[in-house]
Amino acid sequence: MKYLHLLALAGISLGTPAAAGTVAVHVVDAQGRAVPDAVVTILPAAGLPTGPIRFPWGVKMLQKDIAFNPHVLIVPVGATVAFPNADKVRHHVYSFSKPAKFELKLFGRDETRSYTFRTAGAVALGCNIHDAMSGFIKVVDTPFANKTGASGDARIAGVTAGRATLTVWHPRMRAKDNEAQFALNVPSAGETAQQIRLALR
Amino acid sequence: MTALATLPHSLIARVARSLSAKLTLFYAVLIAGVVLLVLVGAKTGISGYTERMIRGEMASGAVVFDRVTTMRYAQLGDASQVLAADFGFRSAAATGDAPTVASALDSLRGRLHLDQAFYVSTDGAVVGFRGTLRAGEAEALRRVLDEGSTRGILQLGEQRFNAAAAPINAPVTIGWVVFANALDAGELARLARMSAIDLSPQIVAAAGLTADERSGRIVERFVDGQHLLIQASPIDSFRRDQPQMLLLRYSVTRAMGHYAPLLWLLLACGLLGIAVAVAGSWILARRIVRPIAALDAAARRVAQGEYAQVRVDTRDELGTLAESFNRMVNDVGERERQITHMALHDGLTGLANRTLLREYLSQTAARSAAGRQRALFCLDLDNFKVVNDTLGHPVGDALLCRVAARLLAFAGEGFVARLGGDEFALVIDDAGRSLDRAATELLRIIGEPCVIDGHRIVPGTSIGIAIIDGPDCDPVTLTKNADLALYRAKHDGRGGYRFFEPAMDAEARKRRQMELDLHDAIAGGQLSLMFQPLFNLSEARVSAFEALLRWNHPTRGLVSPADFIPLAEDTGLILPIGEWVIREACRAARHWPDHVRIAVNVSPVQFRSPGLSAVILQALAESGLAPHRLELEITESLFIDNPAATLSSLHGLRDLGVRVALDDFGTGYSSLSYLRAFPFDKIKIDRSFIMDLLSSDGATAIIRSITTLAEALGMETTAEGVENAGQLDILREQGCSHIQGFYFSKPISEAHVAAMLHDDAPPAMRLAS
Repeated sequence: MKYLHLLALAGISLGTPAAAGTVAVHVVDAQGRAVPDAVVTILPAAGLPTGPIRFPWGVKMLQKDIAFNPHVLIVPVGATVAFPNADKVRHHVYSFSKPAKFELKLFGRDETRSYTFRTAGAVALGCNIHDAMSGFIKVVDTPFANKTGASGDARIAGVTAGRATLTVWHPRMRAKDNEAQFALNVPSAGETAQQIRLALR
Repeated sequence: MTALATLPHSLIARVARSLSAKLTLFYAVLIAGVVLLVLVGAKTGISGYTERMIRGEMASGAVVFDRVTTMRYAQLGDASQVLAADFGFRSAAATGDAPTVASALDSLRGRLHLDQAFYVSTDGAVVGFRGTLRAGEAEALRRVLDEGSTRGILQLGEQRFNAAAAPINAPVTIGWVVFANALDAGELARLARMSAIDLSPQIVAAAGLTADERSGRIVERFVDGQHLLIQASPIDSFRRDQPQMLLLRYSVTRAMGHYAPLLWLLLACGLLGIAVAVAGSWILARRIVRPIAALDAAARRVAQGEYAQVRVDTRDELGTLAESFNRMVNDVGERERQITHMALHDGLTGLANRTLLREYLSQTAARSAAGRQRALFCLDLDNFKVVNDTLGHPVGDALLCRVAARLLAFAGEGFVARLGGDEFALVIDDAGRSLDRAATELLRIIGEPCVIDGHRIVPGTSIGIAIIDGPDCDPVTLTKNADLALYRAKHDGRGGYRFFEPAMDAEARKRRQMELDLHDAIAGGQLSLMFQPLFNLSEARVSAFEALLRWNHPTRGLVSPADFIPLAEDTGLILPIGEWVIREACRAARHWPDHVRIAVNVSPVQFRSPGLSAVILQALAESGLAPHRLELEITESLFIDNPAATLSSLHGLRDLGVRVALDDFGTGYSSLSYLRAFPFDKIKIDRSFIMDLLSSDGATAIIRSITTLAEALGMETTAEGVENAGQLDILREQGCSHIQGFYFSKPISEAHVAAMLHDDAPPAMRLAS
């Protein structure tokens, strides 16, 4: 038992992912209101676990009711995102964002286009026909990523314990590249709750 | 200097004295006040209107500016939004293709005639700005754009722009296009022309204004003598950290300047109005004052005794006043004449009075005589008092009127005056008849009997005449002289006339002096009594002394009773003198033997005075003298005026117990009836009979008849003025009981009386022989 304990200590000091904790983030705006669709990513100092990254919500950006659905989609680097059109009208999806500049010209109902995102970063989606349509795809290179729900809460479980960098991104955040970074210690077990206050436009 | 200082005083004095000046000044001041009011009112009204007008224009000016700029912003905004929506532009901007963006902006600027068209990216990079931005301006721009500013006044450096911005959404906002037009002097001038007045609009930084100005209210400023109205209105500022304001200003002074000619015209009209008012009120005042001055002048003339009338030529109040004045002057004149007549005429007879006589005399005396005979006649009715007393005053008055009428008829052109009472005066100015004839004629005319109220009356008069013989005759002297002559005429017997002689004047003066001296005589002890004995022939002894009054005048020596007794009777001094005599006589007689009486003469005046009995009683009481030893001697004249009253008085005296003797019997109006009427104790035979005794047999017969009569009536007889033995013998022979006279003894002093009574040998011896 005593040995194991020592190992655990060594694991921490060597950065070996010997343990993982859960990080719960609550994002509010300057007025303290819950902020949904904020993307929280954690980059442990000990490094990322190897292996492909998969998120449970899939890689599909649906256009429905003249809107992108979901509004914010988190995908891992290299993911090919499908853009199915569920509307009766046609859409002309484009992105001028640096990580991915593309155009999916005029595609109609039940047509699906796709695009493979090879660089991490935020991609702002628009429709050249419908100026009001706006959607975002956050291309991440970490498995520890989630977005806040309507309550402004996001939970990321199984994060490598130890020092880590927590990044919060929101399309309307008043900051360079619309993101802010925080340092945190991820507990080896259990949960750490973080409250993050954002300045939004 | 002094002339200048005195000028206002004289002016004030002139204004204070002149009604015209007062009225004129009043109206001048009044109109000046009105003019001033009008000017002030006009000025106030104009400036109020001007200010309201300016305020209104300022309010609308701000609104106009707002609308115009809103329109401009709309145009700029529309243009910028068109650009911002352009996919190609968005693509260029999003991909950071600066040259493409710049060229696109450049071409658009040219096409839309913009002064500025530039792009600001969200990271603060500015593309396409013409000119250079100052440090921090790019970041400031980015910040305000980021904060959502889309339009407003944008100040960059010293320049101001109307700016509008539109965000470039790709689809998130990656930057903004800003279109701007310079807001230069020309643009402001174009704005200014939209207002009715030049409000000189200016865009200023709010920070440069005072809090008062920033409030948005219209504030007043006085700059370089100019009255300014300033209004600052907030306007959209592109940079909210640099609020801008539209400043409108207008000079009220300048606006009022436009009305200056109007005010000057008003002032000129006002001054003209004052001049017209002054001239008009002066003329009016002169027209009012001229009749007043005429009235004043007339009033002064009337005050000086002249007769003055004012010409009436208006029908207004002044005309009425002038008429009233004229009427008043006439009435006053009429009354004056009445008063003068009353003052100068006698109310009863209508003749001139003493005052008018005096005036007439002085005028007459001043006129040249020219050979005419002129004289003042003074008349006095004889016994007028009796007429008044017995027939009553109405008859007396009627008699006076009758006499007045006769005098007037007689005088012809002469002057007749009533001097008062029954005295009249007549001024004769007659060349025809002599004054003596005139006087005789007048006496005849007045003396004609007349019947008044059924009573037959024979008036009688005495006349004193003073001749008017030159201008030196003063009326007072003339009247006095005529009065003296009248006095003399009356004295000499009534019903005659006398001319004045200078001796009368001297005598009158002497009488006056004596009267004064007589006053002093009683108090000064100058009076004394002498006593002349009465000798009883049958008893051969002194039976009485007659008290004789003596006046030892300090300068004239002894004055004869004949000289002063009449005077004392005339003046009434006889009463105190008579009283003194009675008391003194009683006092002297009290020590005499009982058979010796004291005889005292009682003057008619004294006899008639009601106090005589009291005086006698008092004298008797004081001296203790028995009444029967006092003998009062009265004269016959008492019976002439009022015999009944005299008898009554005599009986009264007799009741006192005193004796009464009839003095000077045989002279005057001697009547035997008196002797029958009153039982006198004694009859004193007048000395005139005694003096004739030796030369006339008739005298002896008279003495005898008197003594016989007296004896028959039981009265004693005393012969007065016995001076020699011959007379004594006859008297004794004829039965006279008593004698008195120098032969026996002249009057002696009180001391000698005592001696005589004690030692009466010498006279007694002579009588006894």
